[in-house]
Amino acid sequence: MVGVGGSSPLVSTISLNTFFICYSYLCMIKVYKAKSIITMNPSLPRTEAVAVRDGLILETGSLDSMKPWLENNDYEIDKQFRDSIIVPGLIDPHLHPSMAAVLLPTFFITAMEWRFPWGDTPATTSPEDYDKRLKEALTNPTHKDIFITWGHHDLWHGPMSRSRLNKIESNKPIVVWNRSFHELCMNDGALDYLGITEEDVKGASQIDFERGRFFELGLGYAIQKLNPYILDPDKFKEGLLKLKEVVHYGGQTTIADMAVGLFDFDNELNTQFALYENDDNPFRVELIAHATALIQHAGGSNIKAEKLISELPERNTHRLNFRKRVKLFTDGAFFAQVAQLMEPGYIDGHEGEWLSTPEQFEEVARIYWNQGYAIHVHVTGDLGLELAIDTLEKLQFEKPRFNHGFTLEHFGLSNPEQVHRLSKLGANVSANAYYVHELSDLYANHTVGFERASSMSRIGSCFREGVTTSLHSDFTMAPAQPLMSMWVAVNRINEKGVLMSPEERISPQQGMEAITINAARILGLDHEIGSIRAGKKADFTVLAQDPLEVDPMMIKDIKIEATLFEGKVFPISNR
Amino acid sequence: MIPLTIISGYLGSGKTTLINQLLKEAKKPIGVLVNDFGELNIDEELINNEDSLTLSLSNGCVCCKLNDDLGISLEQMKELNVEAVVIEASGVAIPIKIANYGLSWPGFRLLGILSLVKGKSLKHLLSDKFVSKTVKAQITQADRVLLNRFEQEEKDALSELTEDYLTEEEVGSYWNLLFKEMAASSRPEITEDNHHSIFQSFVLETEKLINIERLESYLNNNTSIERAKGWVRDEQGKTWLLQMTRNDCNFSISNYETATRMVLVHTKDLDIKSLEPVYA
Ligand SMILES: [Zn+2]
Ligand SMILES: [Zn+2]
Repeated sequence: MVGVGGSSPLVSTISLNTFFICYSYLCMIKVYKAKSIITMNPSLPRTEAVAVRDGLILETGSLDSMKPWLENNDYEIDKQFRDSIIVPGLIDPHLHPSMAAVLLPTFFITAMEWRFPWGDTPATTSPEDYDKRLKEALTNPTHKDIFITWGHHDLWHGPMSRSRLNKIESNKPIVVWNRSFHELCMNDGALDYLGITEEDVKGASQIDFERGRFFELGLGYAIQKLNPYILDPDKFKEGLLKLKEVVHYGGQTTIADMAVGLFDFDNELNTQFALYENDDNPFRVELIAHATALIQHAGGSNIKAEKLISELPERNTHRLNFRKRVKLFTDGAFFAQVAQLMEPGYIDGHEGEWLSTPEQFEEVARIYWNQGYAIHVHVTGDLGLELAIDTLEKLQFEKPRFNHGFTLEHFGLSNPEQVHRLSKLGANVSANAYYVHELSDLYANHTVGFERASSMSRIGSCFREGVTTSLHSDFTMAPAQPLMSMWVAVNRINEKGVLMSPEERISPQQGMEAITINAARILGLDHEIGSIRAGKKADFTVLAQDPLEVDPMMIKDIKIEATLFEGKVFPISNR
Repeated sequence: MIPLTIISGYLGSGKTTLINQLLKEAKKPIGVLVNDFGELNIDEELINNEDSLTLSLSNGCVCCKLNDDLGISLEQMKELNVEAVVIEASGVAIPIKIANYGLSWPGFRLLGILSLVKGKSLKHLLSDKFVSKTVKAQITQADRVLLNRFEQEEKDALSELTEDYLTEEEVGSYWNLLFKEMAASSRPEITEDNHHSIFQSFVLETEKLINIERLESYLNNNTSIERAKGWVRDEQGKTWLLQMTRNDCNFSISNYETATRMVLVHTKDLDIKSLEPVYA
């Protein structure tokens, strides 16, 4: 065995020594042969083999082209993926492990289909089917003695009430949690078990004791009673372990926790480090701190919070890393219809919500901008977006920066002029395409009208304006399946089967960029991941079909066979 | 039931100063909840609370946040035997939404919302690209509006939104203002379903003339309407100032020349079309 390639003798010798001392066995080259490899490297878009050593890509090309690597090294050709397509490891640059950890231990009964490693949740679209499914599932309580189900939606499943639940089962505690997270309903058993009496909740207008319903602040009251069960440390662990399966099953090798500190900063962090930093974990987690949530933690001011955030990378491990990134918010949630809108606003005239005053937002953004952070801003409505863009423009004027990574997250409603402006200012977009699928019909008919609803998640324009654009799930807001996000962005077919703004569709090639190389750029990791080329980490996702060749309507159904994380194969068997 | 009042108003409108005044007047401990984001913890330090209890809250919709600080704090207040509770709403809070908070937590009785307006910044805020609607909502949805640090022209600007305001010189006792006068217009309890809040508000602006009698009977008989406030122009071209609560509907002649412009605070089931018959 001789060292690296055919370079100068001196270089070879040095490399050789190093290799012999540390890695002689591990350093065997593994060559994966595939039906086709989509590299996402524009200079060499398609190959058929990739050589990997010690978690890094040595070369991709043909068996023939990589001969110089193989001639003088131990190598093995692995043909297990010879009939499959290899793509760069998929990246979800925005999800919420802690939300997922709370939700995943519940039982899903949903109007849309959700696919999970432990079995698919079929679409349940009628009140009768809903009750039937609930009855069947009841035998196994999800939390101690309580059965908690998530996903109920009045529109499909009919109004929920205590008496309806009691008819199914009145003794065993049942809690039905609405898809919007804004409401829940309990049967007699649950009210008894949690010790909620009519006397306790008398006069509370957002609690309907008679019907067992708790909404908005009333929901807060119910959740507080449920917290010992849903935030129980063992349940939280169980949820994070389930998320691990979900992430792997979706073909992701990198995810970003886009708001560390959502519930309890230390607990979220410690549990993730404990569960995800080990050799059998098939993905890395980029950690982005929630700036406002950390203020109290840091001792009461933005300056102190910035200092705390600047020190977080000291806790980094191999898979879990903080970088110079931070998460801010402008307006309210899109699913809850409290995004801030420009004229003409909402059809029913209700107001959106700001999550802080524009002055406060600007002040916080300035602190992080001046310290050189990449700022990720949650924006949902066009006015929320406008505030982020105006602020960026001001900051650019005060202290110009290039390639600054200012990223607009979610990107619900926007207009073409804003896309142009944000492009000029060098901002990135990380869009939730799933809005188009699940919400565009509702928004068209009830919320903002067809014109604006059809162009929500205006992704085509972003690509045309040259904006670095990625797709995310915001899981649990949408399924943590990048191929599903890509499918929506490419087809823009909503849940009613209607095509929404064909002009804003993107090509399958662009869709693939959005869940690989662009997502890597948005996380500042494009030098390491996001495409298959010499020198990058050997993160791959193995697909049964070619996402750039199949009927675009089939993209979401492509079978994911395995992932490779830094060269190690993690098969996906049970589908 | 513990009486609860909400103090709303944009950033810098004097909420903290008012609460400090109130704490000086209070004879027994009262609870203060500061509902704001970010560095408003500084405000919390400004509030001098020797006997009374101050808790700071962060906000966010339950979609994003399961540990409901406001709820937990209200529960704590119950244990602490306070005389009354004041919530200092955040600068961007929509008053009717906060009112729902007050209405829905077991053990509390909402007296009303007082909105503060700083005269000096009013004009600027009312034309602000981002917060003009929020600030207008804070003024039009409040039960009482208190104007401070103002010049005459700012008074005129405010008068265009509401005639029902008082200035700081007119306040004798903040305690009375918040816990006695508010109580007079106390609300009934409502249990209605709704998406994000029980009450919604709707601004009726129209050039059409209105029949006052029919409007009065409409308002008195429509159970979906919680409150109405604003100006109404009748067939004779006269402008009336309307003040309607569940208990009371009052029209008084106004010399303010305007087309009909009023805010209706209503539950979700109000059908706007049902207003048709009130037009002259
Ligand atoms: Zn968000
Ligand atoms: Zn998010």
